[in-house]
Amino acid sequence: MPRPPHPSRSPQTSRNCSPETRPSRRATFDPHRAVAVKTPVEFCRIDSGDGATVLMLQGLWQIAQADRIAIALGKLGKTVGEVQSIDGKGLGAMDTAGALVLLSRLRAAGIDPGTIALVNFDPSHTRIVEVVRSRLPSPGPAQASQAFGLAARTGQIASNLGMTLLGHVDFLGRVVFELARALRQPALLRPREFMSQLGQTGVTAIPVVALVTFLIGVVFAYLLGLQAEQYGANVFVVDGTALGMTREFAPIIVAVIVAGRSGAAFTAQLGTMKLTEEIDAIRTLGLSADQVLVLPRIAALMITLPLLVFIGDVAGLLGAMVIGQTMLDITPHTFLDRLHTALDPKHVVIGLGKAPFFALVIGIIGCRMGISVERDTRSIGINTTSTVVQSIVAVIILDAIFAVIFQQLGW
Amino acid sequence: MVKPDESVTDPAIMTAPELVIDARAIVTRFGKQVVHNGLDLQIRRGDLVALIGGSGTGKSVLLREIIGLHRPDSGSVTLLGTDIWTASPDMLAAVRRRFGMMFQEGALFSSLSVAANVATPLREHFSLPEDLLDELVRLRLALAGLPPDAASKMPSQLSGGMVKRAAIARAIALEPEVLFLDEPTSGLDPITARAFDQLLTFLNRDLGITVLLVTHDLDSLVGIARRIVVLGQGRVIADGSLAEITAVDDPWIQSYFSSRANLPAPIRHQQ
Repeated sequence: MPRPPHPSRSPQTSRNCSPETRPSRRATFDPHRAVAVKTPVEFCRIDSGDGATVLMLQGLWQIAQADRIAIALGKLGKTVGEVQSIDGKGLGAMDTAGALVLLSRLRAAGIDPGTIALVNFDPSHTRIVEVVRSRLPSPGPAQASQAFGLAARTGQIASNLGMTLLGHVDFLGRVVFELARALRQPALLRPREFMSQLGQTGVTAIPVVALVTFLIGVVFAYLLGLQAEQYGANVFVVDGTALGMTREFAPIIVAVIVAGRSGAAFTAQLGTMKLTEEIDAIRTLGLSADQVLVLPRIAALMITLPLLVFIGDVAGLLGAMVIGQTMLDITPHTFLDRLHTALDPKHVVIGLGKAPFFALVIGIIGCRMGISVERDTRSIGINTTSTVVQSIVAVIILDAIFAVIFQQLGW
Repeated sequence: MVKPDESVTDPAIMTAPELVIDARAIVTRFGKQVVHNGLDLQIRRGDLVALIGGSGTGKSVLLREIIGLHRPDSGSVTLLGTDIWTASPDMLAAVRRRFGMMFQEGALFSSLSVAANVATPLREHFSLPEDLLDELVRLRLALAGLPPDAASKMPSQLSGGMVKRAAIARAIALEPEVLFLDEPTSGLDPITARAFDQLLTFLNRDLGITVLLVTHDLDSLVGIARRIVVLGQGRVIADGSLAEITAVDDPWIQSYFSSRANLPAPIRHQQ
């Protein structure tokens, strides 16, 4: 349809106009444009001719328009409550979301959605409405929100923590029992699995353990050297690093590395096996999961951790030796000489002696968290994280307990 | 944004519905093993098609190729008018809103409740007000045949049948035009499996959703499939109604259908 000539479009006015006024003239009311913008937005209207109140639907009633349909229905206000039938002649499309919005709005207005008549509906649209009508969810929130108070939450966390610790102790008992049995009957130890675990927890951990402890030795000797230099007591750096590395640093650092490495691996491995029902299969075959899976891992870790600590001792002292050579004028020969006199072997023994206990704790936590994985994949991640945190905390607490005990014993 | 009107039109009224799936000359290889060797498959709107075939004939792989999860070595896949393997990411995203997929093990997000699982695609694609969203989620659960109290449960608390229903509820969340299902009745008891068949028939007939399912369940085939496509030797070896399929002279098809002696005979399919 040709646009009627607008007065402002005549040549003489446009020639006389300044550029600033042009945009405002374009925005002047144009009835054709206004209609074109308004039509697709309207989804429904109430038609109350012939004494009957009819809700006329039009346009696309689909999920993409659901929010706008809800607004359009809301604008009808209270008159929706008087609707006697629905006319679907103008409907372009209807899906279950559109039907849901319609029916729940009617119900909110006090109309029983089951009785309202549908007029001029396409059969496919009728079917959609019927389907939704028959399965219309009851109003109100589906789930009761569970809001716990601070006290209840604290109690819950404390109770969970207690249960976890109790479970660990229970598991520790079982493992020690199995371990004792295996010691009396070495046939119960599964050599292949045991050897494979020795490789995984021990041999492959050597590079990272050596690197980290070497760097700790470097840093420790350097900081100690800065202080000792002021008193001209360079050589005592050897005493300090030797005692510190062998007795405390190497065992703790190595145990933390192993907790992050092997402890997490135990949980992930056993957790996956639990999820795929492999652990159930082992039990069903008349085998003990503790014996087949847990014991080789823990036994291997208890053997490899002291060995790794020893590697840590050596690497740490090597690091200190490098610093002594380059910064503190202590030749390797002097360093070793001083080491012989300054380092009491009991410190090394204490350091190495703590390692199997750390290994036991890491192994117990790692395996138990793996076995207690639930049926969903998410809990593998949760339990693996938990294993690392628990193991590191447990190792440090255990080390503190050892420190107190050795102090009391005068070692 | 605006779908064509055919999306909800009754397939029975229209004489020739358009193709929603058009896979042509699909070739798939895994190493030296050739899974599909020039496979063609066309599916029209409103169909309920079952894909069967022996182990390793690439049923699930074909499904993954149609929905854009696995790239075929050659061939083209047109889904809802979009060439899946040449489409731009935007076009692909637009098509993904128009179909639903139910994975074999459900693939529910284990960190989310059932209701949150169903709400995820809705939240992602539409900005619906919370109460409408909540209502829509509960309608989806009801359509999938789940009781209302299942909404707040976590996937790990559900039985196998309920996991599959929840997965369907999530797959139909966006009002898909096509629904893909990978072995929907595997691992279900016969009663639950038949209820599931009814659910699929309902989605297909009453909501007008085109359904393509991979199945091994003979009862499903007999009960619901309007059309059966048999894969073998890297291509479609039979395609048609149950009666037509059983008449095909192929050793695998014959042994497949004779594995069940108590098939209703003569096999007749209700139109």
